[in-house]
Amino acid sequence: MGLPYFGYTESTGELREIYERMRERPLPPVYRPAHGGVPGIITAHSLDPQLIPKVFGTSTTLNGAGPLSWPERELVNTITSRLNQCLY
Amino acid sequence: MVRAPRAPHGDRRTRALGEIASLVTLEPWTLSRAYHADWHSAGLSDDDILHAIVLSAFFGHLNRIADAVAVPLDYQVRLSPPPTDPTAPPLLPSPVAVTGRPAIELSRRPATAQAIAAWRTYIFDRDAPLTRRQRTVLARWVSLFLGDGGISTPDDLTANPIDGALRELAETITLAPWKLSDETFRPLRKHGLDDAAIFDACAVTSSAGFFSRVQVALATLMRDRA
Repeated sequence: MGLPYFGYTESTGELREIYERMRERPLPPVYRPAHGGVPGIITAHSLDPQLIPKVFGTSTTLNGAGPLSWPERELVNTITSRLNQCLY
Repeated sequence: MVRAPRAPHGDRRTRALGEIASLVTLEPWTLSRAYHADWHSAGLSDDDILHAIVLSAFFGHLNRIADAVAVPLDYQVRLSPPPTDPTAPPLLPSPVAVTGRPAIELSRRPATAQAIAAWRTYIFDRDAPLTRRQRTVLARWVSLFLGDGGISTPDDLTANPIDGALRELAETITLAPWKLSDETFRPLRKHGLDDAAIFDACAVTSSAGFFSRVQVALATLMRDRA
């Protein structure tokens, strides 16, 4: 169901290069997927590789910085997801 | 608090953050000076409030893209999310158009403002897969649903079948993202849009929702409650 998306192992060319850059970003261990690839929310954008750095560049300024603490940021994110009925 | 986000939980600061996330997600046009003052008295600074508003709006974008491609959750969580209820009614569209200066300037977070500006330019300043006009059509519908009076309403558009399909997509993504399915995309496929073009339409709509949600939430904090 839904539109297709491409994980790390299926990626080539520009998408692979962008995934490599994403993998170099600091990421708390809890967010690292067990499959060892790129987190699913990044691969969800794979039909438009150039959008990935725009979206996750913004994410870095919000989820990797204060003034809200990490638990507070998680609270905001989780409530937003719950109200949007999204599992992510 | 996650199971019932609008029920009272925790200390005042925690409840205020939960309230910001709820209102930004469900009805950003209802914020007001009274909420702003209440959140201050709960211990939140303007920088805290700005962070929470932009963060919630941003996560709303991630939710919508995750739904568009139905990506599975791939990291461990302590509390499994409840199943989606596809019969849940859509969110209500805004009954008002909000204009005016923001109560808190986004420029207080310069790195965030710069990143959003680059994102916005990428979304609107190109002609493929969607045309610039189609991008504008989507953004105008989104702004109408979210009450962003800074973007002109779409009622002057000449109706054509593709615009109609784009409007339907914009409505589902903005007001009922949990209903996204192959069926949602079928009208656009009938008009010849391929996966990349349909994803572009989803990304434009979702991104416009992020931009408008921030704009509306920050501007309504200047207003007295209706």
